[in-house]
Amino acid sequence: MDLLCGGLRHDCHCIFGSAGWCTQWSVQVERIDPGRVDLAHSFQVAIYENLLEELDKTKRFEYVLREGDSKASEIPDLLTLKTMVVKYTPGSETRRAVTTVSGATKLTVRSQLVTREGRIVMERTVNGNVRFFGSNLRATHNLARNIAKAIKQSNVAIVRASYRDTQPQTLNADGTQ
Amino acid sequence: MYRLFAPRNHNSGCFGGYALLTLWALWLCSGSGALAQSTAAPANTSTPFSTRVTHLLGLPNTKRNCNGTLSIQDSVLHFQPNGKPGVQVNMASVLNLSLGDESKQVGGLPAKLGKAAAPYGAGRVVSLFAHKKYDTLTLEYVDSNGGVHGAIFQLNKGQGELVRNELVARGVSSSSGEDQPTKQSTSEVTHEDK
Repeated sequence: MDLLCGGLRHDCHCIFGSAGWCTQWSVQVERIDPGRVDLAHSFQVAIYENLLEELDKTKRFEYVLREGDSKASEIPDLLTLKTMVVKYTPGSETRRAVTTVSGATKLTVRSQLVTREGRIVMERTVNGNVRFFGSNLRATHNLARNIAKAIKQSNVAIVRASYRDTQPQTLNADGTQ
Repeated sequence: MYRLFAPRNHNSGCFGGYALLTLWALWLCSGSGALAQSTAAPANTSTPFSTRVTHLLGLPNTKRNCNGTLSIQDSVLHFQPNGKPGVQVNMASVLNLSLGDESKQVGGLPAKLGKAAAPYGAGRVVSLFAHKKYDTLTLEYVDSNGGVHGAIFQLNKGQGELVRNELVARGVSSSSGEDQPTKQSTSEVTHEDK
């Protein structure tokens, strides 16, 4: 059953169905937090831009907003996507081409979907690698695609704000409390 | 008798000519060096500056990996893709810029296929030499709604420094450290669960 739906259309197949308990959220993507990892600025920007593009492709969110967008204050049901870099292994395209087995660029990040109240709706650790073909920046594209896939596949029940306020709960990525 | 070096006759009138010629050559060399130095540094911020770049990602309504011309005039950064409408970024909206370098395999997909088809692993040997270094220029800027955008350009080696100097001369803030992703070792940080 698809729990993460666009309920405003009332044609979804979520647990709340057409009763109107579910709503379509919007998401605001924050800039990438490099944490204590010395990640190149170009990689941070590439992850951020790729995330915006991949989240838009999922069609799960009514609006996909950038950090600092003034429209965010007008949107009632807004989630914030926070991404922190956990691990980064720089690779080399030449080493990949010559040896095949070494030179992979690897990225690991922790992504959180957070409500306005600061409640974590989803938290995942996601990897993005480039092992064979492609430039090093390709890893950021793969990472963003995996984050979007994780959000799409997560069984997070997105409920309307009023319902959420009466039934406060924090759900894990697998839908358990 | 065969001698490789014949002693020069200092009494001949030709020596003065040689000396003059040597002095002139020295002056010319030093002059051209000074000229090269002056072209490397931006002299006037009002003069337009343009260079060929490849847009890797980030600019709105612009394809990835498309070639074009990046020009700087007055307070506007303009990217003009080949045969497509251009994109303008106001210099005042640029939050940050940084410079990095990347090494990439040249030749694209045809070269990849050729290397894969080459017998006895000859393609790997070709790969050893078929790479080129590029500069990457990363810009962060805000749009009219306040949303943060990022754009990455790929430039020929050495061009990135020129573009950065031009932008810094026009008041854009540059990050202190340069991107050096290939020089660092594996970094790992473990964060505690919240």
